Amino acid sequence: MKIRIIAKLDVKPPYVVKPVHFEGLRKIGIPQELAKKYYEQGADEVMYIDIVSSLYQRGIIFEEIEKTANELFIPFGVGGAVRSIEDFSKLFHKGADKVLINTYAVQENPNIINQAAEIFGNQAVVVNIEAKKWDKYYECYTDCGRIQSDKNVIEWAKEVEQRGAGEIFLQCIDTDGRQRGFDLELAKQVVDSVNIPVIIGSGAGKLEDIKELIEYAKPSGVAIASMLHYDLTNIKEIKKYLSDNGIEVSK
Amino acid sequence: MSNIIGLINYGIAGNIHSIKKAIEKAGGTIKIVNNESELNSVDKIVIPGVGSFKDAISELEKDKLLEPLKKAIQTKPTLGICLGMQILSTLGFEYGKTKGLDAIKAEVKPILVDAKVPHMGFNTIDVVKTNPLLNELENEEFYFMHSYEVVNYTEISSLTDYAGHKFVSSVQKDNIYGVQFHPEKSREAGIKLFKNFIEL
Repeated sequence: MKIRIIAKLDVKPPYVVKPVHFEGLRKIGIPQELAKKYYEQGADEVMYIDIVSSLYQRGIIFEEIEKTANELFIPFGVGGAVRSIEDFSKLFHKGADKVLINTYAVQENPNIINQAAEIFGNQAVVVNIEAKKWDKYYECYTDCGRIQSDKNVIEWAKEVEQRGAGEIFLQCIDTDGRQRGFDLELAKQVVDSVNIPVIIGSGAGKLEDIKELIEYAKPSGVAIASMLHYDLTNIKEIKKYLSDNGIEVSK
Repeated sequence: MSNIIGLINYGIAGNIHSIKKAIEKAGGTIKIVNNESELNSVDKIVIPGVGSFKDAISELEKDKLLEPLKKAIQTKPTLGICLGMQILSTLGFEYGKTKGLDAIKAEVKPILVDAKVPHMGFNTIDVVKTNPLLNELENEEFYFMHSYEVVNYTEISSLTDYAGHKFVSSVQKDNIYGVQFHPEKSREAGIKLFKNFIEL
């Protein structure tokens, strides 16, 4: 299977921002423009996460999402402050193909995963996991890496698969935004513990990091943010590099 | 000649927004179809689909579109996309057993493969029997996002290989076409497929 290269937009409406360790937001650009740029570079998907919505306890801001969707003819995943089946439904109507959920499912109602999967199909339900490393295990965090949950990442990954999630998007608080490579052990453990696709984010700083992750953990996709935002590379270059190194990518 | 494409809008599970946008980009004229009289006024039909087989059929029933749709697809050029292709089949096995539109003699079953499911991402189609919809799209890549597959042996237009398992990625029977992938999510190749559909 061809590895998916996914452009990730962390959004604090109306801007795409880039935190380090999920903190210290730096303004990068407009979601709509960046999404279009990455689409034209050959991204296989775009992921849009409103990273402050849960923390600020406000609803979803649909306007930017709809504008961003309009530029894309590839799958578009959207997350941030999703709390109900109605939120899922609205997001699909605004142009999302997949909806990401984290905080509400972890803190209040994991059943929303089952309900959403039954109504919208499991391929449309993505569980976003924000992992933090402790001595012997990884813990799930919510509210953009702010709140602890006492949930073990591996157990939670298995649980959400059972509940009908179609995909896991795994981020790591310790490595996010630092551009010093992925947490390979975390990635491998999660990929190996479920039968659904796992997308790995948090850590790409150079092309070798991406290759190393794919070869070691065998994820279904890799999410890239900083490297693209700061023009350290582009998706065409990433795909060419991977392909030259014997990793299958889409055109 | 009038060439209005009716996009079936059923229930909360329809992802019609992106399909409409892609068909318009391909130069087509879209009319959203919510009921039987709107269905009668269009020249071609696109059946979208996100969700489960069972929900899709019950939503069509609720909107009183199931029987009219069965009739309309007998004559009007029709394109089923993903779940929209699956419900063209005789029988679905998602959340119980559900009767489909029965236009393609097929059953819809979970993908049986030793790999991650859903099958998600760009993959290549291998055209085994060409048709006008797939014109100039042989060996192109399209985006797939599904956990179920159409099991059919007679109306196959293309196959796709996933981890060594070849499944049916498109079908055709007379004026009825179905694609398991999402042309609206498949960059220029998808737009080209919609152009082919407009030109049918």
